[in-house]
Amino acid sequence: MTRRAVWESIVLAGVLLVQGCVAPQPSQDLLAPTEAQMKIRSVQTRAFDVKDRQLAMRGVIAALQDLGFIIERANEPLGLVTAARFAEPNFYDVLGVTVTVRPQAEGRMLIRANAIYNNKPIEDPKVYQNFFATLERSLFIAKE
Amino acid sequence: MLHNHRHMSRRLSTISRSGGLLLVAGLCLLLQGCPTPYELRHQAQWDSREQIWLSEESQVKLRVAQSRVFDTTDRRRTLEAAVDTMQDLGFMVEVLDEQLGMVSGKKFEPLERPSIGTDPYYHLYDDQSLLIFTKSYHTWGPFWHRSDLVRLTITVRKRNDTQLVVRASAQYYLRAVEDPAPYQKFFRTLEQALFLQGQLVE
Repeated sequence: MTRRAVWESIVLAGVLLVQGCVAPQPSQDLLAPTEAQMKIRSVQTRAFDVKDRQLAMRGVIAALQDLGFIIERANEPLGLVTAARFAEPNFYDVLGVTVTVRPQAEGRMLIRANAIYNNKPIEDPKVYQNFFATLERSLFIAKE
Repeated sequence: MLHNHRHMSRRLSTISRSGGLLLVAGLCLLLQGCPTPYELRHQAQWDSREQIWLSEESQVKLRVAQSRVFDTTDRRRTLEAAVDTMQDLGFMVEVLDEQLGMVSGKKFEPLERPSIGTDPYYHLYDDQSLLIFTKSYHTWGPFWHRSDLVRLTITVRKRNDTQLVVRASAQYYLRAVEDPAPYQKFFRTLEQALFLQGQLVE
């Protein structure tokens, strides 16, 4: 090891150490929606022919339970349900869902679901289609 | 003379080699003291009082940046819009209280994720120790080495007979966000959800 290489490695280690100790600053877009999030918004939302909000919320809770979620909180007056589950195959990962139920005009309910896999929002439309298919079935059973 | 010179240079090279070894050993010890860069970037805050003193901006300035006045008295609609905005921004709603008029949520910024390949730490944590489904698991469990927590609280208060005040406060890397720019962007999204224009508090 030549003397120059020694000095270079000291400088490099120093730079790495200092970089490790500085907290990153929040970006300007910390609280701004990304384009991808705006794009999946329509996929996450669907209107259902249900008049009663409570009935719709029960349907949502039942659908989430059908999918193996554990309900974390349900707020009836504001129409919010959140749930989470560990994901297959290793059950290392956590899948979290936030569902809102909003009354729309003409006795319809607007239901929006947000799914987050560990720390990343799910952008695959298939996942939401699956959820809404389960919800449709569960609402159908609830109506009878 | 020549022989002496060769002897000297050999001695010098042994010295520099052992010096290099010492240096490497010293660096190893130093690096062991700092387990990961992620941990280093976080200050250990054992006492919540310390966190309160961390605020750097003037309280009034910060409050103005975080608050907007809306010409509506419909608290429920405003809260619903706040939840909608949280969903738009990819936040998970954690606390929701209509009576108190507050919504809180969190999200993870994928800052610690390597851009190429996979993070070996991801496969190294002990899943056997995860016995219960707790809040702390969500927050600091397997994510602690690969993601950063952003927390956001929105409060809705009555200002007078015709107006409401909405205040948002965000936390990033366990510190309060004091830059007004992220809040401006947040309120732009909220205004779109409310179909109302917010005004600054005077």
